[in-house]
Amino acid sequence: MVSLYSEKMLNIISNDSLEEKLVCMFKKYGVNGYTVVQARGEGSSGQVSDMSGFDANIVVKVILPESKIQVILESIERKIKKGYHLTVYITDIKVITPEKFEKTAS
Amino acid sequence: MSLSSLLLPAVLFFALGVIAKLIKSDLRFPPDLAKVLSIYLLMAIGLHGGYELAKADIMIAFQSIIWALILGFTLPIVGYLGLVATRKVNPLDAAAISAHYGSVSAGTFLTAIAYLDNLSIQYETYPLIMLAVMESPAIVVGLILAAKARHTVAARNGATNTASKNSNEQGDFKEMLRDAFTNGSVVILIGSMIIGAIAQPSGMEKLKPFIDDIFMGVLCLFLFDMGMVAARRIGDFKKVGVMLAAFGVVMPLVGGVIGVYVGASMLDFSVGGATLVGVLGASASYIAVPPAMRLAIPEANPSFYLTLSLGITFPFNVIVGIPLYHSMAQAIVA
Repeated sequence: MVSLYSEKMLNIISNDSLEEKLVCMFKKYGVNGYTVVQARGEGSSGQVSDMSGFDANIVVKVILPESKIQVILESIERKIKKGYHLTVYITDIKVITPEKFEKTAS
Repeated sequence: MSLSSLLLPAVLFFALGVIAKLIKSDLRFPPDLAKVLSIYLLMAIGLHGGYELAKADIMIAFQSIIWALILGFTLPIVGYLGLVATRKVNPLDAAAISAHYGSVSAGTFLTAIAYLDNLSIQYETYPLIMLAVMESPAIVVGLILAAKARHTVAARNGATNTASKNSNEQGDFKEMLRDAFTNGSVVILIGSMIIGAIAQPSGMEKLKPFIDDIFMGVLCLFLFDMGMVAARRIGDFKKVGVMLAAFGVVMPLVGGVIGVYVGASMLDFSVGGATLVGVLGASASYIAVPPAMRLAIPEANPSFYLTLSLGITFPFNVIVGIPLYHSMAQAIVA
């Protein structure tokens, strides 16, 4: 039987123009893996993302160990306070290759 | 200003796009189509313009650039003062919205070219350089206005941690400046113009089907898609309120008058050229500026500036504005 290891997954819904900023933040805290998914929808700030690509949303997904969650959340909180519209949620997940997510950047 | 001027295929397709959305048709273009088409349109107009400009007068080109900079820097300030005077939006929203109005919409500009071509009116190629130049300055002005607005708000709240914030802000500001002047539309337009100017004429001849023959067809397709995008925004009309919606019509008129005046009197352009400068002054950006404002002024409400530029000003300019600026140009030049 394959062993499963607990990790956290951080999901951030944001406008696609913020992608670079978010990735920069992950790298700063030693998180080098992330996945970006194109998305569209509507929310509290009333933004509707257009199909035509003028106003597209993304979901950034990052798997990381619990030890790194807090410091990244603090950084995200600072961004939200600055006015950036970010929707953030964290889920518990199981992975089979924990070594991929425990590494810190050199 | 006759009705027949509205019966351009490109404008009719724009209307078809609006109608398709209003009757809730299931018609859907692939995502990013409008962006793909706008890359083509900028490239084609850039190549064409560059080729023509290679034969142009350097002095007039230089004057056009100076006037484009003046327009790009002053129009957002005019818009900002107007918006603040309405007392309907906070200063940060006003800064973000006015940055859109100082910048330009290539879609509107190209529709104006289709309009002039249709009436066989000659126009100078210099407004094309102005189109490229005017993309960025308004973003910078928007940033400066926003920084000022933030300081006012911070002073009112008696913020204390300004020192650390300032250094951070300055780093951000530099980055924004770089982004403003290296944004995609500027690179495509200026790059294509240079290629058009220095490429061998025989090579350019081979590109003719790509640059000229299919151009109007692609513009139709682009406006078809934009009609649907705009119609989706028209629904948000209620959210922005009557005052802001009125701004979306009044500001292009103000910008249009200033633009036509600059084109006709300062730059001595023909009716066609002055009309194009008027369109530059009147149009509001919806490609380059919104993402820049999302990054730089995150506090501003995106549905305000997107609804205004895409849902109100763009359709207004395409349907009413262009013929109007043309009549203004006729009046001033004559």
